[in-house]
Amino acid sequence: MSNHHPDDITMLDYAAGTLPMAQSLAVAAHLFLCETCRTRTTQLNTLGGAVLEQSSPQQIKVQEFDRFMDGIDDESVAAKAAVPKAKNGNPLAKILPERFSDINWRQQTKEIAEYDLTKSLGLKGYRVALQKIKAGARVPEHTHKGRELTVILSGGFSDELGVYHEGDFVSRDATHQHTPTALQNEDCICLTVLDAPIRFTGPLLRWLNPLFAWR
Amino acid sequence: MEAAKTGMGSDEAKKWGRLLQQVAHDRDRAAFREIYEYFAPRIKAYAINQGIGQQADELVQEVMTSVWRSADKYVDTLASPSTWIFTITRNQRIDLLRKLGRLKAEINVETEDLWQIPTEEDTTIHSIQALAAEKHIRHSIKQLPEEQLIAVRKVYYEGKTHQEVATELNVPLGTLKGRLRLSMQKLKVMLESKDL
Ligand SMILES: [Zn+2]
Repeated sequence: MSNHHPDDITMLDYAAGTLPMAQSLAVAAHLFLCETCRTRTTQLNTLGGAVLEQSSPQQIKVQEFDRFMDGIDDESVAAKAAVPKAKNGNPLAKILPERFSDINWRQQTKEIAEYDLTKSLGLKGYRVALQKIKAGARVPEHTHKGRELTVILSGGFSDELGVYHEGDFVSRDATHQHTPTALQNEDCICLTVLDAPIRFTGPLLRWLNPLFAWR
Repeated sequence: MEAAKTGMGSDEAKKWGRLLQQVAHDRDRAAFREIYEYFAPRIKAYAINQGIGQQADELVQEVMTSVWRSADKYVDTLASPSTWIFTITRNQRIDLLRKLGRLKAEINVETEDLWQIPTEEDTTIHSIQALAAEKHIRHSIKQLPEEQLIAVRKVYYEGKTHQEVATELNVPLGTLKGRLRLSMQKLKVMLESKDL
């Protein structure tokens, strides 16, 4: 059971369908692991239902219904209309191999590996990746220009602000300067969604910037 | 009048649920007509408010087709009919935007993978809880101060960014976020839901 969740406003934007797709992926990955937030989503959907009811309706022509029904049985007319599917599954299932060990990791440093999803997801303006930090290893101190969302898929890490475990949702922005360190017992694997480049701040590590730079 | 302002009560929800069932089991067109006549004008209004007025008819078409075809997937213990229809509408809007390329996303993941529609009995969500939440939220909306309600509606219903809403209401961004946060707390769309 995770202890760190998206804040209320992020959840509101997500349920309203206005949170950008890349960030919604992070929320969905968290929902898969967090019952509490699935319940919050249910409630926010209810809010949407209530708001829809309370809206002032737009005029629709009387004959529109008949025209609609004429077309409805014609499969070709509205074949593209999505039918809701029951999916309590993992939103990452389509994107990732079944096991983390089957992932084609790209080693960044001796202790940090990455699997970049940005291209395969085709999300412009965001960088989406899986990060693997070796047990006990530390990610060099850095700040973000934008917002970084992290969902821990396996293991855990700690930084200046707390300790995080599997399922936790962590949001960091430009005001945070942090040095995540993977917990001792196992590698930490997380999904990260970044809406601007990370910048390493330690004097010796500035050279790392191009390596981690946002592409 | 009070009922009209605050949305449907549980009797109303039961009525729509029954109509959905008739559509699912008997392909009852008269029942569907009632659903259509109530919801289609509201979905159209939603599209216009979301700034996709040109696609309003398309959105109505897509949503109502989904409702007709998948009425049998509606589970009345998981959500009220209007909540269920809202989630379909929201997802169809996202699909439309993806198609129009306005959302900067071309992902091989389906919208339903990221925004699930309450469809099948999910054992992790207790149905009693879902229904209690419905009642609770409908009640809470009535208690919201006007300025908070307006902020929530603009974000939720009109699909505006926080900055756009702040500009429109002529308040600083921080003030708007404060209102949204307060309203969320008031609506108890938070962790204490378990106490319901
Ligand atoms: Zn959560």
